[in-house]
Amino acid sequence: MQRNTRRLNAALAAIGFVLVTGGFSHFAAAQDVPPTQAELKEIEQKKPDYSPYPDQHFPNRVFWGDTHCHTRLSFDDGLMGTNLGPEEAYRFARGEEVMSNSGQRARLSRPLDFLVVSDHAEYLGLADLLNNADPDLLSTEVGKSWYDKMKKGGPEGTQVALEVFLSIGKRQELYKSERISRSVWEYVTGIASKYNEPGKFTAFNGFEWTSTPSGDNLHRVVIFRDGPDRVNQVLPISAFDSENPEDLWKYLATYEEKTGGQILAIPHNPNTSNGRMFALADFMGNPLTRAYAEKRARWEPVMEVTQTKGDSETHPFLSPNDEFANFERWDFGNFANPVVPKKQEMLQFEYARSALKLGLQLDAKLGVNPFKYGMIGSTDTHTGMSSFDEDNFFGKVPSSEPSPERWSEAFFMKADKTPAASGWMLQAAGIAGVWARENTRASLFDAIKRKEVYASTGPRITVRLFAGWDFQADEVEAPNFAAQGYARGVPMGGDLKSAPAGKAPTFLVRAMRDPEGGNLDRVQIIKGWLDAKNEVQERIYDVAVSGGRKIDADGRCKTPVGNTVDVPNATYKNTIGTPLLTAYWKDPEFDAGQRAFYYVRVIQIPTPRWTAYDQKRYGIKMADYVPMTVTDRAYTSPVWYTPGK
Amino acid sequence: MKRLLKEPLFHFLVLGALLFAGYGLLNRSVQPASGRIVISQGKIENLRAAFSGVWQRPPTAEELEGLVRDHIHEEVFTREAMALGLDRDDAVIRRRLRQKMEFIVNDLAAQTEPSEAELAEFLARHPDRFRVEPRFTFRQVYLNAERRGDALKHDGVRLLTVLNQPDAKTDFKTLGDATLLSPELADVPMSEVSRQFGEEFTRQLAQLPKDRWNGPVTSGFGIHLVFVEERKTGRLPELAEVREQVVRECADARRREENEQFFQNLLKRYTVTIEQPAAVETKKIAGIQ
Repeated sequence: MQRNTRRLNAALAAIGFVLVTGGFSHFAAAQDVPPTQAELKEIEQKKPDYSPYPDQHFPNRVFWGDTHCHTRLSFDDGLMGTNLGPEEAYRFARGEEVMSNSGQRARLSRPLDFLVVSDHAEYLGLADLLNNADPDLLSTEVGKSWYDKMKKGGPEGTQVALEVFLSIGKRQELYKSERISRSVWEYVTGIASKYNEPGKFTAFNGFEWTSTPSGDNLHRVVIFRDGPDRVNQVLPISAFDSENPEDLWKYLATYEEKTGGQILAIPHNPNTSNGRMFALADFMGNPLTRAYAEKRARWEPVMEVTQTKGDSETHPFLSPNDEFANFERWDFGNFANPVVPKKQEMLQFEYARSALKLGLQLDAKLGVNPFKYGMIGSTDTHTGMSSFDEDNFFGKVPSSEPSPERWSEAFFMKADKTPAASGWMLQAAGIAGVWARENTRASLFDAIKRKEVYASTGPRITVRLFAGWDFQADEVEAPNFAAQGYARGVPMGGDLKSAPAGKAPTFLVRAMRDPEGGNLDRVQIIKGWLDAKNEVQERIYDVAVSGGRKIDADGRCKTPVGNTVDVPNATYKNTIGTPLLTAYWKDPEFDAGQRAFYYVRVIQIPTPRWTAYDQKRYGIKMADYVPMTVTDRAYTSPVWYTPGK
Repeated sequence: MKRLLKEPLFHFLVLGALLFAGYGLLNRSVQPASGRIVISQGKIENLRAAFSGVWQRPPTAEELEGLVRDHIHEEVFTREAMALGLDRDDAVIRRRLRQKMEFIVNDLAAQTEPSEAELAEFLARHPDRFRVEPRFTFRQVYLNAERRGDALKHDGVRLLTVLNQPDAKTDFKTLGDATLLSPELADVPMSEVSRQFGEEFTRQLAQLPKDRWNGPVTSGFGIHLVFVEERKTGRLPELAEVREQVVRECADARRREENEQFFQNLLKRYTVTIEQPAAVETKKIAGIQ
């Protein structure tokens, strides 16, 4: 005993053990003896890099942001009770406290790195113009009449909102004035300049083009790489100008030609497009052409797959073997009033995984893949506050800011006058992860353009993916993982072409949970391909799971991770799952002659949904059908394989 | 006195006084009992100017007569409506009036650029909002608790020994388990450490001795061995370094303060009684801290 103590003391002295702060267990408590020289030699050491500077140029960190945030400058917000403007939106995203539209103090748990204030281009800034009695607006007949009605108030005031909504629906632009648009646009770009701090926070110039033919959502968020010197040379294009995406692309091309700047568009979460977002025909109903595919691929590098209005990765009808598919579903129909109900045959043309599959088919037919989309998440908040954390969810519109009633609020009406959607269906999501080196407009924009981005439904899960032809299993553990990944493979969003003889794609994946969030359940690779009969297929492979669970020969782990959520108290424990998962995977069924894509889905352990926090904090009981737990997740942009090019 | 004239608060009070006076007059003039409407020459000029603004030409005599008639119509109805209290329950009118007040205040706040002295004072009063963060240069080796299981502590001790050997030739990057955390961070601000490693780790990092490997440092991911090479303490920057941010924040704060002060001054004229709140209301306020 005495000898042991002496040895332990000697060990401590020899090691020069440093006690850090108190409160957690020390190695000193371990019954260890100093290692022998022989033992030291055995310590696992990986082969170091020859070059000491291998990581000088490739993206080295994830920046988090929201590409889809509305403020009172959007016609629907300004007339429906949103007070927060772009200034407050940037402040909130930068981690500062703001007073919400319903008068509650609000703050993010952690700041975002970037934000796109993407107000609707249609009647941009209308509420401000009316409130300020803008002389240019009042010099138009309709502007004057709206102003007068607003002044009179009561039912006439409400009438203004109705007239505006109706004219948007009917696409009758009731006033068009370059002077008005310019003054509002310069205000918008001016606020962005004020809050854009290279290296610290990126405020992108942007807007939303709100094409909604017959209530089908074809919206696109437009993002500029540039500052006011270029962006102020143009004005936003609106759905009044055209509802046809090809005209939007023309506008984008004209911007680049005119200013020498760069610009891109991100399709809105497609689940309310009633099968139109990824239709196999153009806006006019003609079959897609190669020219169409080239333009779409050129201007729309990524799509929004998850946000407050539900998740669009896939649908149980499309992916019946995917136990994670039935997730935050919004499949009642479109935005028309009353809504046009969803039909099953629409689904394949409006969910992301299916669109990626259709893209392979179109690539084979046209020679270009029009649906070659990377994936991001964003909020589409209409409150000016980008919020996506389950325990800090500030809703979608002012009326869905925290309150004991918000879960039962009705959204959209069916033909029988019953609500199509309700408040509880809102998803506290999403967020865009961008792999880049610097927090600047240029660096982040370029990463979106090359699709080195991914979607999360809220938690800041870090995930990295490389695909190549000759990665080895031990490389995923190697310290030079990223350097080798870039040197001998491609990251998420990249392309593999013409397989070397006898080779199949190999993948290296690392995933790490949110430092302040729930553990990870599993990492999956989702493969889609075009088979010999020209039919699209999909398959899910579990490639890493927590807690030593078994992955069967069919590539699936059938043991669920479990559930530690205490619903009444809205808490969970990280006693299941794991903080970090790594995976090496080689496609076991690769056919070098068939087009394919591969993306990673990271599944977090179940945690309390925002509805559980509401129930606990307000001491209320919601209806039994309201879900109280959520399995948050991240989706990476795919890597595509194309034969013989 | 000169200084006083430049004080925004002074402008404010003067303006406030004018507003009250004006409001008082207005209140008197809307008494329908007075039964008297005077259309002054000035008012007619206003109507003429407004018309010209919209139509880009002066009104004809006939049009002007119509404008005056319409104005009288409006005046009578406004007075009667206000006498009947029709404005009081109207949310749109109330909101519009509130906004008008706020615009006046905001305009006033925006009119004067903050002076150098004011900026310096603002910086001194809010050091935390502009403080240059502490920065760290450090290396870390990560050990995955789940993977190492019971061997975790043993492995940690062994690695620390290796790393702290006086003539250590071992590249630390070749030790430990795979992660997505940077093994080596050069001159990074504390907020960046925190966003990558979490709060728990960052708190410990600030206290580690320099120039040696320390451990275990815990984080949400597991445990780390950490070598701190350099630690720069935070400091209050010179105004010139952060001038732009201070101008932005100072203007914003002033807008808020003046709005609030204006409101508080007005509030003094009222006695506010809040009736016993209903149980639900109390919960709503308490629940969302």
